Amino acid sequence: MVKIQYQFKRSTPLRFLSHLDQQRLFQRAFRRANMPVEYSQGFNPHPRMSFALAMSVGLTSDSEYGEVIVSEDIDVETFISRMNKVLPNGLEIINAKICGEGVGSLSAALSKSVYRIRINVMPGTDLAELAESIQSYLALPQILMQKRNKKGKYVEKDIRPFIESIAVFTDQEKDKVNVEMTLIYIEQQCVKPEHVLESINNQNSVVFLIDPTIEIHREKLLIKADA
Amino acid sequence: MNNYIEKNILPLVIKPITYLGNEVNAVHKIPNAAMIRFAFAFPDTYEVGMSHLGMKILYGLLNEEKDIWCERVFAPWVDMEEQLRQHDLPLYGLESMMPLSEYDFVGFTLQYEMSFSNILNMLELGKITLRSAERKEAEPFVMAGGPCAYNPEPLSDFIDIFVIGEAEEVILKIMAAHREWKKAGGNRQDFLKKAATIEGVYVPAFYAVSYDEKTGVITAFTPIIETAPATIRKQFIEDLDRAYFPDKIIVSYTETVHDRISYEIFRGCGRGCRFCQAGMIYRPTREKNVSTIQSKIKALIASTGYDEVSLSSLSTGDYSDIETLIKNLVCDAEVGKVSISLPSLRIDSLSIEMLEEIQKVRKAGLTLAPEAGTQRMRDVINKGVTEENLIDTVKTAFEKGWGHVKLYFMIGLPGETLADIEGIADLGQKVVDEYYKIDRESRNKSLKVVLSASSFVPKPFTPFQWMGQNTPEEFKNKQRHLKASIKDRKISYSWHDSGVSFLEAVFARGDRRLGLVLEKAHEKGCRFDGWGEYFDLQKWTEAFAEAGIDPEFYALRNRDYDEILPWDFIDTGVTKKFLKAEAEKAEAAVTTPFCPENCSNCGIMEFKKGWKCNG
Repeated sequence: MVKIQYQFKRSTPLRFLSHLDQQRLFQRAFRRANMPVEYSQGFNPHPRMSFALAMSVGLTSDSEYGEVIVSEDIDVETFISRMNKVLPNGLEIINAKICGEGVGSLSAALSKSVYRIRINVMPGTDLAELAESIQSYLALPQILMQKRNKKGKYVEKDIRPFIESIAVFTDQEKDKVNVEMTLIYIEQQCVKPEHVLESINNQNSVVFLIDPTIEIHREKLLIKADA
Repeated sequence: MNNYIEKNILPLVIKPITYLGNEVNAVHKIPNAAMIRFAFAFPDTYEVGMSHLGMKILYGLLNEEKDIWCERVFAPWVDMEEQLRQHDLPLYGLESMMPLSEYDFVGFTLQYEMSFSNILNMLELGKITLRSAERKEAEPFVMAGGPCAYNPEPLSDFIDIFVIGEAEEVILKIMAAHREWKKAGGNRQDFLKKAATIEGVYVPAFYAVSYDEKTGVITAFTPIIETAPATIRKQFIEDLDRAYFPDKIIVSYTETVHDRISYEIFRGCGRGCRFCQAGMIYRPTREKNVSTIQSKIKALIASTGYDEVSLSSLSTGDYSDIETLIKNLVCDAEVGKVSISLPSLRIDSLSIEMLEEIQKVRKAGLTLAPEAGTQRMRDVINKGVTEENLIDTVKTAFEKGWGHVKLYFMIGLPGETLADIEGIADLGQKVVDEYYKIDRESRNKSLKVVLSASSFVPKPFTPFQWMGQNTPEEFKNKQRHLKASIKDRKISYSWHDSGVSFLEAVFARGDRRLGLVLEKAHEKGCRFDGWGEYFDLQKWTEAFAEAGIDPEFYALRNRDYDEILPWDFIDTGVTKKFLKAEAEKAEAAVTTPFCPENCSNCGIMEFKKGWKCNG
């Protein structure tokens, strides 16, 4: 039995996959690639595969991680080439490694996400002013936000520790900006980039027009070196 | 357009991935001027349409031709429709995202009458002129085929070309005619005339219908051009084993209704259930060989990665060598890894042991279709199943650990009495009793028996084609009576809206005068009539009134045997004489044997020269 950890990209053609769609897609791709995927024991056997993160609908990414357990030894080059032959345009495996026994779960090893977001802003927004208000936002000792907990109740949560940096850039299109944001995972918890934008809106006045046409791209997903 | 839709429209709808056409095994070609562009249209949602086997066959078949690009289009869900209308964007073919109006052909498959309003809506969204007669030279030819095309008349105002019967061969003949026509450079009318001479093709514009002023029944149905045949003969594939079946089928990203490989093991059915249109129109029965099935399924698993295969047919257990087939599939190294399902099982024809062999993992619900509650009624409809068959079957199932049984029935069958309705409840009770006879230790811990009763819709080309449907009021009374007859809490009961069944009956046996009703209903916004939440009987009632048409004339009236029926010009091979004899036997509750046991001379043997049923 071998655990393979792989890194993959998801680009525009498949950005609308739901997490479940993507799981099904990988299961079928493993089968098309003739990967000897291990199945769980029990009443309703499942292929032993997982993703470090559930990707939300619309998200594109240069760096996602997945794991799969196969029953035979397979070298990573073969794994990558066989998978990329069967994956549809929009998904590509860029890296893989064989993990030894006892390596912890991927989701526990998550460290940081670097996002680039393209979003509409209030017409006439001045970029320099926006950058300034973001600086003062980041200077706040704590940033409270309403968050729903697992029981479905709203609780106040300080999201400041989850934010490393935010920077804004111009876009070719008028009244759109690019936001680069590095967010931190703390004990497997994080904040979503669109929630950070919402909280910036809440602190000042509404600048970011958060609607479904927002484009969120994960540039990097850093995992702790020991994983 | 592609980029605009991707960026600005799709993020706003609930199932964006279903509007992109970039699935695994979807066909993309580089178009050129000579290429025939064909949009295969399914008048329901992506999830429903992508479960349809016929589309997969024809999509593969047409795309085998280098100069044809067949793409898909489905009825956009209401949120997508709203976006398209708001942005004034046309409905498009998924693969190339080309507007529907730019295709050479838009071909609809007609699976059920309740999708007819979606056809009009899709044409409108595709910016194609609704009425065939008003379509301009450059517009696509709108085609239709599938089971509901056996009575094409209600759609004849909107469809240029109907294909009657199995399309695999005839569609290629139509494509060949189109190539020639393009080369010769004729007009729209020229092509339609040419198409009308192909056997199995019906071009409604070339026929005239007259009616009796007083009674409203048809007095004559005649071709108005010399080259249009007076009778349209349905087409069928003689050698199904060698017929085209794709090695690759599209794998949807989103979960579809039947999210698995569906492989057709035989076509046709020799049981002769009198209510069943498929059982008559798909005659003769033709099987594929065990080895063909096995090798094709292997190829499909390899090209799709699906983990489930369903062996499809009208009555899977009737496959002549079902035991060998299943044994071979289960023992096959590759096929054995995926799960195999057997839909459409008859109660008597397959042992539960066999089901158990293939469903090693899960004991999901067992679904059986006795169709009627009493033996007399089952004899009337020629459903050759006895109560003993059913009880034996559920007894074995309970012994093997099943706990959930669903039984399908129809109400409103010819000659039905309240005793027959009570029989449904009694049968449910007997199933429950059977469960309690099994030792507590060896039976499933929970028991659930579901009785599902649909309202019977008489269909063309069946022995019940002359029969008036029960009124909505009668259906409601029967539903109430059935509900009251159920005493055990382990039994639950589900039924269908009788308004939908009424409308279905109107369109199933309607004529071309219904075109106006359809148009009016469409203008009022009717679509997705098969989806409870969008069915609006009020709008339909208004549409009938405005068109001056009495829907009861079509649904509720008993027709005389010598009345000219709107679909009489179609020859399915099963003779009217046979259907009439079957109707008379039904009245006397006399059964007709299964074809392999005794040929009842339905007519199909004489239909095609040299054809012989092999049982």
